[in-house]
Amino acid sequence: MDVSQYLEIFIDETNGHLQNLSDCIMSLEKDPENMDTINEIFRAAHSLKGMAGTMGFKRMQRLTHDMENVFQEVRSGNMHVTSGLVDVLFQCLDAIDAYLENIKESSEEGTDDNEAIIQELNDILAAGTGNVPEEKKSEKTEEKPEKTEEKHSKKYLDMEFSEKEKEELKDAESKGMNIYGLTVYIQEECLLKAARAFLVFKAVEDYGNIVAYNPSSQDIEDEKFGVDFSFYLVSETSLEKILEVSKAVSEIAEVIGEKVQYSELTAAAEKKEAAEAKETAENIKIEDKNGKTAVVAVQAESAPAASKNTPAAKKSSGGKPVTNRTVRVDIEKLDALMNQVSELIIAKNSLVSIGSSSDGGVVGANSQAFHEQIEYLERITTGLHESVMKVRMVPIESVVQKFPRMIRDLSKKLNKKMELYMTGEDTELDRTVVDQIGDPLQHLLRNSADHGLENAEIRKKRGKPEAGSIHLNAFQEGNNVIIEVSDDGNGIDTENVKNKAIERGLITPEQGEALSQKEIIDFLFMPSFSMAKKISDISGRGVGLDVVKSNIEALGGDVEVKSVLGEGSKFIVRLPLTLAIIQALMVEVRGEKYAISLGSIETIEEINADEVKYVQAKEVIHIRGMVIPLIRLDQLLDCEPAESERESLTVIIVRKGDKFAGLIVDELNGQQEIVIKSLGKYINNSSKIISGATVLGDGEVALILDVNTLF
Amino acid sequence: MANSMSVVEDGKKQFIVVKIGSEQYGIDISYVDNIVRMQKITRVPKVQPYFKGIINLRGEIVPVMSIRTKMDLEPDEFTDVTRIIILKLEEHGVLGILVDEVKEVVTLAPNEIDKVAYDAKNSKSSFINGVGKHGEELISLFDTNSIIDETETV
Repeated sequence: MDVSQYLEIFIDETNGHLQNLSDCIMSLEKDPENMDTINEIFRAAHSLKGMAGTMGFKRMQRLTHDMENVFQEVRSGNMHVTSGLVDVLFQCLDAIDAYLENIKESSEEGTDDNEAIIQELNDILAAGTGNVPEEKKSEKTEEKPEKTEEKHSKKYLDMEFSEKEKEELKDAESKGMNIYGLTVYIQEECLLKAARAFLVFKAVEDYGNIVAYNPSSQDIEDEKFGVDFSFYLVSETSLEKILEVSKAVSEIAEVIGEKVQYSELTAAAEKKEAAEAKETAENIKIEDKNGKTAVVAVQAESAPAASKNTPAAKKSSGGKPVTNRTVRVDIEKLDALMNQVSELIIAKNSLVSIGSSSDGGVVGANSQAFHEQIEYLERITTGLHESVMKVRMVPIESVVQKFPRMIRDLSKKLNKKMELYMTGEDTELDRTVVDQIGDPLQHLLRNSADHGLENAEIRKKRGKPEAGSIHLNAFQEGNNVIIEVSDDGNGIDTENVKNKAIERGLITPEQGEALSQKEIIDFLFMPSFSMAKKISDISGRGVGLDVVKSNIEALGGDVEVKSVLGEGSKFIVRLPLTLAIIQALMVEVRGEKYAISLGSIETIEEINADEVKYVQAKEVIHIRGMVIPLIRLDQLLDCEPAESERESLTVIIVRKGDKFAGLIVDELNGQQEIVIKSLGKYINNSSKIISGATVLGDGEVALILDVNTLF
Repeated sequence: MANSMSVVEDGKKQFIVVKIGSEQYGIDISYVDNIVRMQKITRVPKVQPYFKGIINLRGEIVPVMSIRTKMDLEPDEFTDVTRIIILKLEEHGVLGILVDEVKEVVTLAPNEIDKVAYDAKNSKSSFINGVGKHGEELISLFDTNSIIDETETV
C-alpha cells in the first residue's frame, strides 16, 4: 500500500502521542501507582505501534511493541514502576523521536535498531515478571472478536428510508433479489475510516447494489461517522460471501448482517414513527453503550481480564461522530494571503488619501456616500487583517510543552532538585515567531537551572526550600507578548560580572565604578562572555545569552533582565504580536515622513521650548513628576538643520518597559495602518534605527522608526 | 524572459548603453528587470553614503544606489532623462542604480569585447570587466556582480 500520502498525518499524530507519553511518564514518576496514567501510557504506546506498523516502520514498531509489553505487565500488577524504568522509558521516547525526525526528513525511519534500549526494556521485563510468552498474547487477540461481537448492535435496523429507496428495495425483492442489511464496525484506532468504508463498499458492490446508507454516503466520504456505518445491499449472492469480502478489508473490526424482507423493513419504520420519542431515548442508550464497548474492545485486545475495572471514560470518542473541522494549510499559502491583504490595505489607504484630498474632483457631490463607503471598506480590511493574523496565530504550548521533560533531565544531570511552573501556555503568537522562540527560551531555562539555582547546601543555608523553582510565564500586554523566565536562585552577582569585564579588558576599573546595574548585566549579552566557572555541556561556553538576544531581536523583540543577588533573576522576553502590519503614528521631521508603532507610544505632549532642561548636558523635560530624556529626531536622523528654533515642540513620549524617552518631531500626520516592508539586503542598516519601510496611500515611501533601539 | 533575449546568436550579448558623466557604460541586459523614470527617492539615514534611498516600485521597496558616488564622480544631477535602472539578481533581489541617460541597446559579439586588466589603484575600473567596441564608440561594460558584491561587504 502506498502510504506516503498519510505521512503527514502519521507525523502529526506520532508527535501528539509522544508528547502525551512524555507528560504521562513525568506524572508517573511522581505517582507510580496511578492506574489511569499507566493505562494512558499503554494506550499511547499501543497506538504508536499500530501506526508505525501500518506505515511500515518496523524498527519503531518493535520498540513501541516492547514498551507496550512492559506496560501490559505493569497494568496487570505483575511489576512496579521504578525510577530505572522511567529512565529507560524516556530513552525510548528519545529514540522514537529520532525515528520521527528521520521520517520527517527522508520518509525513512533510519537504521538505528536501538538494540540497547530494547534489551534494557526486556531486562526490566524479565526482572519484573519472568519472560512473557508471545503466544499468550496472540491467543488473547483472537479471543477478542467473539467477545465484542455480541456488543455490536444491528444498527441497520434503525435506518430510515426515503420513498425512492423504498421503491428500489421493493423492486429488487419483486425481481427475486436478496436484501441484506449490514452494519460495519471499523477498528477504533483506524486513521482513515472513510477510506476503509470506501473499500468495503467497493468490495460488496462487486456482488450487488447498495441502496441505502446510514449515515449518508456523503457523510461517510467526509468521515462524519463514529466507528460504524450501515447500509442495505441488493444482491443475488449469498450473505456469507458478502460478509466474507467486507471483513477482508483491513482494520474492519466486525461486520454483521442478515437477510431482510421488505415488509419487515417498512413495518419497522412505521413502528418507529409511532414511538419516536421512545426510540430516540433508546438510540442514545445504544450509542452510549457502543462508545463504551468500543473502548473496552481496544483494551481487550491484549489484556481482557484487567480491562474490566478500568474507567473507559477518557477516550470515549468512539460513539460520537468525529467531525473534522480543521484544515491543514501550508504556511506559505498563509504568507501569500497575508501579502495580498497587505496590498489591499495599501490600496485602501490610497483611496482614503484621495478622499481626504481637499477638492477631490471625481468625488464631488457624492462625497458623503464616498466617505461612508471608504469607512466601510476600512472596517472590512481591518477585520480581514485581524482574521488572517488569527489564522497565523498558534499557542506557544507546542514549544513550551517539552520544557518540563527538559528540566527533569537537567535536574538529574545537575543533581539539583528543581520544579518548573508554567502559566499562559495558551498565549498565542504568530506562527513564525513560535517556530523560532523555542531555542532562546531553552537557553534561558538551562541558564536558570545551571547558573541560577544554587546547590542544595547553599539553598538550605539561605533558608530557601530545597527544590528550586523556575517559572515560565507568558501573557499578552498590548501589542506584545511577554514571556518571563524567572528562578529563585542566586541572582546575578554584578560585582563578579564587573570584575570579569575588567579582567577581560572590556572596561577599566574606573569605568566599572560608574556603571549602573543594568549596564553591568548587559555584559552578559555580549558574545563569548561566559560567567560559568567551569564549562559543562549544559551551558557555559559563552554562546548563550548573546544568541538569545540576537534571536529575539531578529524577531523584533527584546530581552530585559531583573536580578536581585541572593533572591533570583528574571529574564523578560518581549515579542511583537504581529509581524507584517501595525498601527502606527505618522510623523514628519524636516519634511521626511516616519512611522512610529503605536504600541510603544505613551503620550504626545506639546511643550514650550523653554521647558527643556539640562541634566548632565543632555536635554530632558520634567513632566508629571518624571524626568524624561529628549531625543531630537532631526539630529538623530542626520536631517538638514532647521533654520530657526521653534517656540513650541511636539514631543512623542515613547516607552520600553519602564523607561521613557521623548522624541521631538515637527509634525503629526495621524494614525494609519501600515504594512511593514524590508529595506532589502543591499542597505547596510547597522544602526537598526530604521526597522523597515512602508508604502503610503499616495505611493510615497515612509520609514519605520524602531524606537526600541533608542534606549 | 530577459535571459532568453540576451542570447541572440552564438556568444553574442546584448547591453543597455547608458551615459554616466561623459562616458558610456554597458549593462548586461539579462540583469535588467526594468527601467523607470526618476521619481522621489526617500532618504534612509545611517546607511552607506552611496545609497540614495528607497523608492516604491509598484508596491515593492527598492533600494537605489548612486553609481556616481560609488565611483567618486561628482554628485548626480537629476534631469528629464535621468533614469533608474532596476537590476535583478536571482538570490539578491532587486536594486536600482541611477544613470544620467539611457541611450540604446547594442549587441556585441565576443570579438568586439576587450577584457581590461585590473588596475588596483583605480577603484573605478574594478566595476568594469570589459570594453565593448560598437562602431566608432567605446563602451565600458559594467561587471554587475562586482557592483552588488562590494555593496554587500561594505
